[in-house]
Amino acid sequence: MSWKVKLAILVSLLAAGLQLYQPERSHPPSNPGGSFEAVARPAPELANVLRRACYDCHSNETRWPWYSRVSPVSWLIARDVRRGRAHLNFSEWNRLSPQAAQHKLREACEEVRAGEMPLALYRWVHSEARLSAADADRICAASKAP
Amino acid sequence: MRHALIAIALGILAFGTGCQRKPSDVVDPAKLKVFEPLPQVVAASYGAPSEELIALGRMLYYDPRLSRSQQISCNTCHDLNKYGVDNEPTSEGHKGQKGDRNSPTVYNAAAQFAQFWDGRAPDVEEQAKGPVMNPVEMAMPSDKLVIAVLKSIPEYVDAFRRAFPKDKDPVNLDNMARAIGAFERRLLTPARWDKFLKGDAQALTSAEKAGLNVFLEAGCQTCHLGALLGGTMFQKLGLMKPYPDQSDPGRYRVTKNEADRMVFKVPMLRNVEKTAPYFHNGKVATLEQAVQEMADYQLGKTLSRKETEAIITFLKSLTGEIPFDYIKPPELPKSTARTPKPDLSD
Repeated sequence: MSWKVKLAILVSLLAAGLQLYQPERSHPPSNPGGSFEAVARPAPELANVLRRACYDCHSNETRWPWYSRVSPVSWLIARDVRRGRAHLNFSEWNRLSPQAAQHKLREACEEVRAGEMPLALYRWVHSEARLSAADADRICAASKAP
Repeated sequence: MRHALIAIALGILAFGTGCQRKPSDVVDPAKLKVFEPLPQVVAASYGAPSEELIALGRMLYYDPRLSRSQQISCNTCHDLNKYGVDNEPTSEGHKGQKGDRNSPTVYNAAAQFAQFWDGRAPDVEEQAKGPVMNPVEMAMPSDKLVIAVLKSIPEYVDAFRRAFPKDKDPVNLDNMARAIGAFERRLLTPARWDKFLKGDAQALTSAEKAGLNVFLEAGCQTCHLGALLGGTMFQKLGLMKPYPDQSDPGRYRVTKNEADRMVFKVPMLRNVEKTAPYFHNGKVATLEQAVQEMADYQLGKTLSRKETEAIITFLKSLTGEIPFDYIKPPELPKSTARTPKPDLSD
């Protein structure tokens, strides 16, 4: 058996072994009445923007793609989702005071305008998450709403 | 040759870890947008409180006759000379009973979006009624007894009349709470931090500004934002990994909603240096431990000793001035023969 074959077998075994370690991909319990859409009652256009570009990491309604089940990619995605939800979670909008909600939306506005959010890799994989200037304007307008 | 390369690599690694980059003391103003200076007054929905209302509130705040034993006042657990706390994990109430949550400070508390660790009261007026009637705190069995005590003391009846001139029968529980709340709305502790936010770059030391940068880099302002660096939202304790002590379900007790299990109000960081011990259960004795546990459970980060120290250096700049003139204990009116006696019967 050549060393190349041995290496291939070793890598395959390693990759298979990694699949035994899967991160938590469940959705935390949510109060439907506590979501951004229920609390802030945004215009449908804004709700649509947030759903297609933000909700995978910033809500409890993550659409887990098939590759989120393949380690080690799954660990990275799960970590990003966990961090994203911790920072801003549109499913838990009722936890925020009006003042904190404005802060969060303003931050979202600035990050989208700066091209920092959605993350570049996410935008590359998810064409629907590539936001236009008009999309960014909708988020920014919401951050200034009384 | 190979050994030489390994030695160089190890040398670089050792240098890199041994000499951690000193945090910058240049603060990006854009990152300060999440904060605000402390307001001068915390407005009430009913308008500006009168001096008579505040004076009544001050008397009531210090009066132990609002408790069943007539030994416990608001100030017993929220000591205004000690930054509004008693520095106990949980406070001792009626007949030595212990509460199940740490007594939070009353300083600046009125500016929070909700009161109590689980946010069950929307404002300080509503909050003020809670401990008076709580059986393990001041333990008054009914509002009737509270009113009987107050009505038995003519000076209180007069003070209520002056504070509520339009009310026919002003001595009642709601007005008592409103007066205490009015007093609490001015319990504010401006700090050097406020001067810094208003543009005085020299108000913080270089070390404090460097600590602020570590605080921001770690992401603490995700939850600790606004004028109080907290008190603007609820958050799950154990966001990144489960918090070990799950005995208190937090806001779940109020809403019975599974989504609110282990969710608590994010506490303020003003005067945090002075308000140990920490967390809802008061089980965290030091600020070092509190900062490290928050980073670990809420942000999924392990802070080095130097990072922790830097953050604490910044946090100490949030310690404000106690308004000693404002909190000066008033002379309390004397009880009369009609005043109900202390009750330590059960």
